Amino acid sequence: MSAMRLRIAYTKIEDARYIAHLDLTRVFERAIRRAGIHMSYSEGFNPRPKISFGFALAVGTEGEREYVDVELQEEIDLGEVLARVQEQLPPGIRLLQGRALDQGAKSLMAVLNAASYRIRVPMALPIQAERLQEAVSGWLGREHVTYSRYSKKGPTDKDIRPWIKLLEAKIQGDEVIFDLEVEMGNSGSVRPEEVLASLRELENLPIELDGIQVIRTGVHVSYEGGKSSPIELA
Amino acid sequence: MSNNTAAEIRRQVERFLPKVLKPSRYIGSEWNVIKKDWDKTDVQMVFAFPDVYEVGMSHLGTRILYHLVNSYPEFLCERVFAPWIDMEKELREKEIPLYALESFQPLKEFDVVGFTLQYEMSYTNILNMLDMAGIPMRVEDRGPEDPWIIAGGPCAYNPEPLVGFIDFFLIGESEEQLPEVLRLVAEQKKNPVSRQDFLRKVAQVQGVYVPEFYHVTYKDDGRIEKIVADEGVPALVEKAIVADLDQAFFPTNPVVPYLEIVHDRMMLEVMRGCSRGCRFCQAGMIYRPVRERSPETLLKQTEELVRATGYDQIALTSLSTGDYTCIQPVIHNIMEKHGAEGVGVSLPSLRVDSFDVDLAETVQKARKSGLTFAPEAGSQRLRNVINKGVEEQNLLEAAEAAFKKGWSTIKLYFMVGLPTETQEDIDGIIDLAKKVANLGTKLGRRNITVTVSTSVFVPKSHTPFQWEPQEAGSSVELKQRYLREKLRDRRFKYSYHDVTTSYLEAVFAKGDRKLAPLLEWAVKHGCRFDGWSDQFRYDVWMEGLKELGIDPRFYANRAMDYDDILPWEHIGSGVSKQFLAEEHHRALQEAKTIDCRYEDCTGCGVCPSRGVQIELKG
Repeated sequence: MSAMRLRIAYTKIEDARYIAHLDLTRVFERAIRRAGIHMSYSEGFNPRPKISFGFALAVGTEGEREYVDVELQEEIDLGEVLARVQEQLPPGIRLLQGRALDQGAKSLMAVLNAASYRIRVPMALPIQAERLQEAVSGWLGREHVTYSRYSKKGPTDKDIRPWIKLLEAKIQGDEVIFDLEVEMGNSGSVRPEEVLASLRELENLPIELDGIQVIRTGVHVSYEGGKSSPIELA
Repeated sequence: MSNNTAAEIRRQVERFLPKVLKPSRYIGSEWNVIKKDWDKTDVQMVFAFPDVYEVGMSHLGTRILYHLVNSYPEFLCERVFAPWIDMEKELREKEIPLYALESFQPLKEFDVVGFTLQYEMSYTNILNMLDMAGIPMRVEDRGPEDPWIIAGGPCAYNPEPLVGFIDFFLIGESEEQLPEVLRLVAEQKKNPVSRQDFLRKVAQVQGVYVPEFYHVTYKDDGRIEKIVADEGVPALVEKAIVADLDQAFFPTNPVVPYLEIVHDRMMLEVMRGCSRGCRFCQAGMIYRPVRERSPETLLKQTEELVRATGYDQIALTSLSTGDYTCIQPVIHNIMEKHGAEGVGVSLPSLRVDSFDVDLAETVQKARKSGLTFAPEAGSQRLRNVINKGVEEQNLLEAAEAAFKKGWSTIKLYFMVGLPTETQEDIDGIIDLAKKVANLGTKLGRRNITVTVSTSVFVPKSHTPFQWEPQEAGSSVELKQRYLREKLRDRRFKYSYHDVTTSYLEAVFAKGDRKLAPLLEWAVKHGCRFDGWSDQFRYDVWMEGLKELGIDPRFYANRAMDYDDILPWEHIGSGVSKQFLAEEHHRALQEAKTIDCRYEDCTGCGVCPSRGVQIELKG
């Protein structure tokens, strides 16, 4: 039985961005164990600690505010848990905020449905501010945007436009900075790289996708036009 | 040409890192990693493991030496592993030199690059890593600005195929020897003397072999005529031994990888050495004598390991952990102390005759997936030949107990191509597998699986079978096919090692200095990761042998004479050649030799010649 359910907001930046999503469970599990805090375990032949995350962050993408749910066997002061676990986490994973959940609270996967990104990408050729805005509004003005994804089974065409909630761009030096907000769900989502590749192709925007830097600035619970953090909501 | 500072390498690598497989192999910021200030240390060494990260990080010796060297404030030690094919491609395309994980410094900047030689099929990776680092492969092509390229580990007991690439080898246990070598490197940096003079000093350290001081001449038929040592260096390089293992350095704050590695758990070394005396086993000869750690030391180390790593499993490692005299109390105490925290124990090397099902049950509480036994040979006669003191009765009793306790999969390991092997011995494998399976059926167990796995016998240096040839591949393949046919029943699974890989392994295991050009040729023609079946390119190797006029059968399939000068004649494991020859005789007479832990001294020679002794704690 779990005495305590916690939701924690954390960063996954710097070197920690190379930790694969599947490995992240072990990173938290070991940190909590080193902190001397007893986790709750699943039943069965191969008990696993009860640690769960929201939507996976692509390897190499920094996350400025990600969330994890952890269940503990004992009730401990929240501040103490965060402090003790923080000491045991590798660089790049910083705990930002925590909150004790009600036993019945929905899981992260059940509540999260949106993500926002900041994307920096070098220009391949000089781009004027006006030209940039034209390209973005032109792209957003399309009802359907077909994008071909390549997998082992071959290419599949997908309409990525419905996932986009917001796309804004500005110029900073010789880079373009995009703010992107997308819907996420069990039926999938769209990757920021795909949006930019499509923008480059369909709107002839000369951006250098090789030098793309993506940061996921947050994941959200979004409904009726508003968005909130799964911590505030819980 | 790219700018090769550490910062620039890091910047460039980060651009493509998300695109390669398992990028956390290449970043080196794991928990417990040691990042020292380069400028505040006298000697910078990089420990190089010639295989992928997941394999290298699973190797206890690598971990011991990494933390050992770093425990000296004046020394710095970093790590590098063989980059996987995709990473190599990126690094080469962008002309980024191979770098060490901790600092991203290129290997060329270090004073010492130390390779560990765990298996022969990793040799091409060594040369390839040097090439990727921009360090000339050949000793004579390197200059004073290049690092010292050194190597140790079990394959250093026959280092000859690597002579020409490695400046000097460290034979034996490095806990005391390596720091001594690094002190000499520090001195050399402060007050440089000539290469020759430096190497002469290094050659005085116990177990250090500097090949250029040893001159090999050959007979017309290719056999060695003599090996002559220069004056002032030992004619026989005797391995280094840690006399007091209990007090020897052991890291209790090991690096905890991000990605899942092969042995992803805490490792506790309960003892070193094994005196069972299996005649094919090199480890059983070269790590003598048996030295155990005390339960007090082990429990203290466990406590520290749990605190420092957060792992939930601890493996009690050694060559044969069931033989450790205090195994029961140690397991009991660990479970009592850490069981509540969810810490489990695993025993990776249990022998059938020391197997205790209750023991196995304590440690495998959760999942009864599979139990592995290694009878090694199918008949009692052949087991006597190889001195594997397992009786069929032992195995069947152990299997029965395991089935009764709920295990449903039993794995049986055998070797094919052992000296004196006949059809009867092969039939013995089938017979044994069937008996085990029938036991399960008789006990009313459904869905049992008996996995039979055969490897190909590879004669190794410093063993009683060192004079033996390897059986020809074509005939081993017939045996494998026969076993596959006979083990078609759904209760069996049969897997076997590739004959061609084992063949080359034998060539290098028994090889001499004349093989060095072949290694160089193979690397230049794209061979690497030869131990990985999907990367191994037998056709390229065969082409190289042909082109260089080397007959692989000369090494792998030739029975050597007792009078032959062996390529490793000048390397001493402490076990006398005479003992090995007597053991070889006894093998052919099917006579067993009893473990010296329980009976009289068998006269292998290591204790009297080296002033050490068996150390049991139970």
